[in-house]
Amino acid sequence: MFEKSLYDLIRGLRNHKGTERQYIQESIQECRKEIRTNDMDLKATALLKLTYLEMFGHDMSWASFNVLEVMSSPKYRHKRTGYLAAVQSYRRDTDVLVLAENQLKKDITSPTPTVISLPLGAIPHVVNPSMANSLLTDLLPRLSHSHASIRKKTVVTLYRLALVYPETLRPAWPKIKERLLDEGEDPTVTAAIVNVVCELGWRRPQDFLPLAPRLFDLLVEGGNNWMAIKLIKLFATLTPLEPRLIKKLLPPLTKIIRETSAMSLLYECINGIIQGGILEAVEGTTEGEEVARLCVGKLRGMMIIEGDANLKYVALLAFEKIVRSHPYLVSQQQDVILECIDDPDISIRIRALDLVVGMVNSDNLNAIVGRLMRQLRNAPMASSADDPANDRGRSSGVQPYAESDDSDAEESLRPEQRSNQPPPLPEDYRVNVIRRILEMCSKDTYANITDFEWYIDVLVQLVRVSPSTKSTSAVDEEDDLERADDIGKGIGRELQNVAIRVKSVRSEAIDAAQSLVLVESRDQMFPASGNGGQGVLECAGWLVGEYANYLTRADAVMNSLLHSTSIQLPSKTLATYLQALPKVFASMSSNEQISWTPERKTLMSLLMGRTIHFLEPLSTHPSLEVQERAVEYLELMRLAQEAASGTATGAAHDEFTEPPLLLTQAIPALFAGAELNPVAPGAQRKVPVPEDLDLDTPINPNLHSLLAQAEMEAFEADEDDIYAAYTEPIASHTVEPQHTSAAERLDVPAEKEPRSYQNATEDEYLDPDIIARRKAERKERYKDDPFYIDPDGDKGSGAITPLGSIVRAGNEELDIDSIPIMDLDLEHHHHGAEMGRARSPRRQVKRVEIIGDETLGPSDPTSSSSREDIVAPPSRTSNKGKKSLLQVDSSGLGSLSLINDDGEGSNRRLTKLDIERKEQEEAEMKKALQEVERLRLEMQRAGERLEAKGETTVRKKKKKVRKVEVGGDDAAAPEMDVDAGEQGEPKVKKKKKKKVKPAAEVEEGAVDEGEGEGAGVVKKKKKKRRQVVLDDDGAPPTEA
Amino acid sequence: MINAVLVFNNAGQPRLTKFYTQLETSVQQRLISEIFTLVANRPNSACNFLPLPPLLASSSKSSTPTTPHNDTPSLVTYRHYATLYFIIISTSTESPLALLDLIQVFVQALDGLFENVCELDLIFNFETLHATLGELIVGGVVVETQLDKVVEGVKAQGRVAKRPVNEGKSGLSLGGFGRGEGGVWAGR
Repeated sequence: MFEKSLYDLIRGLRNHKGTERQYIQESIQECRKEIRTNDMDLKATALLKLTYLEMFGHDMSWASFNVLEVMSSPKYRHKRTGYLAAVQSYRRDTDVLVLAENQLKKDITSPTPTVISLPLGAIPHVVNPSMANSLLTDLLPRLSHSHASIRKKTVVTLYRLALVYPETLRPAWPKIKERLLDEGEDPTVTAAIVNVVCELGWRRPQDFLPLAPRLFDLLVEGGNNWMAIKLIKLFATLTPLEPRLIKKLLPPLTKIIRETSAMSLLYECINGIIQGGILEAVEGTTEGEEVARLCVGKLRGMMIIEGDANLKYVALLAFEKIVRSHPYLVSQQQDVILECIDDPDISIRIRALDLVVGMVNSDNLNAIVGRLMRQLRNAPMASSADDPANDRGRSSGVQPYAESDDSDAEESLRPEQRSNQPPPLPEDYRVNVIRRILEMCSKDTYANITDFEWYIDVLVQLVRVSPSTKSTSAVDEEDDLERADDIGKGIGRELQNVAIRVKSVRSEAIDAAQSLVLVESRDQMFPASGNGGQGVLECAGWLVGEYANYLTRADAVMNSLLHSTSIQLPSKTLATYLQALPKVFASMSSNEQISWTPERKTLMSLLMGRTIHFLEPLSTHPSLEVQERAVEYLELMRLAQEAASGTATGAAHDEFTEPPLLLTQAIPALFAGAELNPVAPGAQRKVPVPEDLDLDTPINPNLHSLLAQAEMEAFEADEDDIYAAYTEPIASHTVEPQHTSAAERLDVPAEKEPRSYQNATEDEYLDPDIIARRKAERKERYKDDPFYIDPDGDKGSGAITPLGSIVRAGNEELDIDSIPIMDLDLEHHHHGAEMGRARSPRRQVKRVEIIGDETLGPSDPTSSSSREDIVAPPSRTSNKGKKSLLQVDSSGLGSLSLINDDGEGSNRRLTKLDIERKEQEEAEMKKALQEVERLRLEMQRAGERLEAKGETTVRKKKKKVRKVEVGGDDAAAPEMDVDAGEQGEPKVKKKKKKKVKPAAEVEEGAVDEGEGEGAGVVKKKKKKRRQVVLDDDGAPPTEA
Repeated sequence: MINAVLVFNNAGQPRLTKFYTQLETSVQQRLISEIFTLVANRPNSACNFLPLPPLLASSSKSSTPTTPHNDTPSLVTYRHYATLYFIIISTSTESPLALLDLIQVFVQALDGLFENVCELDLIFNFETLHATLGELIVGGVVVETQLDKVVEGVKAQGRVAKRPVNEGKSGLSLGGFGRGEGGVWAGR
């Protein structure tokens, strides 16, 4: 029988193109058999193959025990395979972990350095809190191993122990510190320690201040750029705590900036100066200016170096950090930064986008938004094929990948076959851009916006480029509620805000809302595919209702609100639609000046009939909000219908007949009243509670019985039909045959007003219809302006101003009178022109008034300046607890103080919770240990020989430790491996108790209590040794 | 710290996956394919930093965009050598440019071990590939950046197998990538 080696497996894969999946399944079956044999070589090979296949996503968790078997093989080659498999396949819930622990302990204490390396590399991947605790005692001595590579790996492994079980850092830290302070230490070990200290440093910088002198020396000595970078990063977290460091650091840092040839080091120096707050600290001094100029200058250099996108990227990162504290420094670099917004590289774009939000002002807002809009408009929408959700990983599970073509793998430099076309913008980037645009524009309650009509146009355009959101049907309202990231809603909220706050452009905003609501223009207003931007309808619906008197086409709006497709809208939108219905209706029906003629009566009855027809099915809508509103307005409409039909019409034309009062007075009165104004987020809280407010007395003491009764009677109707009506989408909806051409929609400008206009580049990012409207407005506005160059007029002869054409025409026949007399006072002229044709008398002055938030009493500093309602970061709170993939939770470390040296305190500080948890852990441990015992026996039988061998080596080593204990000489402790023999010291061969069977248990107890010093004496030797080791560190009373 | 090191080829087939935090196998595969999608669309002139793949981005949204939490993986660095992509996922506490150099050291070490290394070497000797990475990074923390020490450490573990005869020849062409002085930092 021939077994496959890994080589054969890979060859096989390459020879089974097309049937890899089957081939792999067969191979795994073979491995299953092979791994159960007693032949260790065969076992290890099978495991190696499985590990290889695991890389492609084939589960091998079933082999966890076999992994352990191979790990415990005496042969290094097998061990390595076993450890690799463990690292790759063990998960937190792997049950043999408890068994693996013993194997790890055994290998850590191996005399062979390469063997020690294996568990050192594996522990970070598999460690859990209880394991961390028990491995600690075996790891600590490795810190003084004779091999530098063992020492450095041990340092890192100890750090990972501390991540899962912070208490382990107390005994470990003094030893690590000792290594760091030892100037004779191997530089690579020092570098590794610096790496770890840097990792620890940002969590608790105050604990590392005492190390600053040594770290500073290391920085100045230089030699290792990686370490220097880490040191600089560490110092950046220390300087805020110790301002004196700044003065000391500045010379070496500037020296490095000036001299180093390594770009990474140069960059991190600048970054360190920024992050460490050094710029702020030296601000105002000549030195400080010089440093700032140096940093910014270098960063600018990085931006403009030809062809190195990486430098551009990191420079943007650095600018992003400076912009918060030194916006003026960054705005000097505006030119190069703005270029990056359009960089073909999306990574750079994202960085630049984040950056510009911080540097936007009223001068550059239009330009920046223009660039972004152009991007959104010109890039193709990502098709579903580009959606990563659709690719192999998710859709079809993991595919067995065959090996690629031989030729492919051997090729050394394959020519790139990618097209030069920019890839479609990913959706999240789109959303991000839109969100940033809204954020920039609405900053400080629109402080940067000078032209609100431009802003409204931008908002409308944004709707069209919105990416579609995932499933939104009428029923999944739970999703809708939480889908705060629906960007359409964000746009809608902006439109709403502008309409409310900026009265001067309210009519324009309502026009925009109207065009969004109209069903017949939906094709133009929204992206062609998907449901992108539909969220805007919620706010647009509200606007057309609230400001119904501004509508230019109220009947069309009414038609759209009543359209059959409205029922399919998300329930929140539908609810606002329902609220808008009677408002629009009221605006259409309430005119009391017009006689109640038969035509009017018919018209009104028709309208009410349609409304009732629309509302009726909604009175059983699954969403309570929709249902309630539908029922209420349904009744109102029926009432109105009765009133209308009951009121006789005027017989003759000339006779004025009073329309029904319900229509002209009652219904409008429901919605008229005080104007709605923006309210500050905190205002509600400031409303004083009325003294006579009694919230404790039940309104109806019989509530419970009422509810119970209602329960009994409830739902006699067949619910299925109702639900089916809302859950099943309408197969196809026909758009009502109201053909409105694009041209017709452009008629709107009749209402428009003139305004100043400067941005010549808008046509690059606004859609043609919007531009056409703007152009028409412009033409209208300037028709009296003798200097206006009409771009559409007389194409052949270049630009012609009215004045020019007069002059030209006058060549034959000069008509002096037709030359208008110009008023050179521009402001006055402008004013006059506006007055002359002002259709809406609302706006006389150009200065825009923006209504701020209303609140009671002194405004809340947090809420007044920032308007959270706009682009409020979606559901931040709900996400807070969520841990990112791959994230290491180090919160425990953050609360662990390393400095606190009062010895007894270390253990006392455990909270009750900690103790309980520990007890629980111990109980679990005990249970697990019984299991371990059972499995161990099994293992032992299998590897009897191995066991015996291992025992002797461990014995030798243990004795050594004991020796240390007796002598109390900590320096000797480290040397206990192979090299131990060299010392020639006759060691007392005395076996430590630890190796005895229930070792794990004893140890567990010992470690736990070892930290508390009181219990020390009574316990076994194990514990005693531990204590001695700790005390020997020479650290102040306790290493806590 | 470093959260993961990945190597895959131009077709997205993984050659090395190392996650320094435990992750379901299926999620690992999804992450790999997401990153591959991102990286495969990038022109050569683009920078070596990727936007966050959706799997990582969605969960990191919880932190404020301005100050990403230091524990959250927020940096995806890659380098492309011939047929292979080398990727490092790390937190913001790592230096982006230094990570690029680290990848360079990794590849140079492999080149030193295999003499003109190519993808096939790594396919057939993936244990050595892991061992090399193990000399560079332990538990997500960089322990060594000196080329000779890394090579020495791997060699100490036993003979490095040569690629089987008849398999390919041409290497990853270290110089093929690069921006002139590119990655190799002076005083490593």
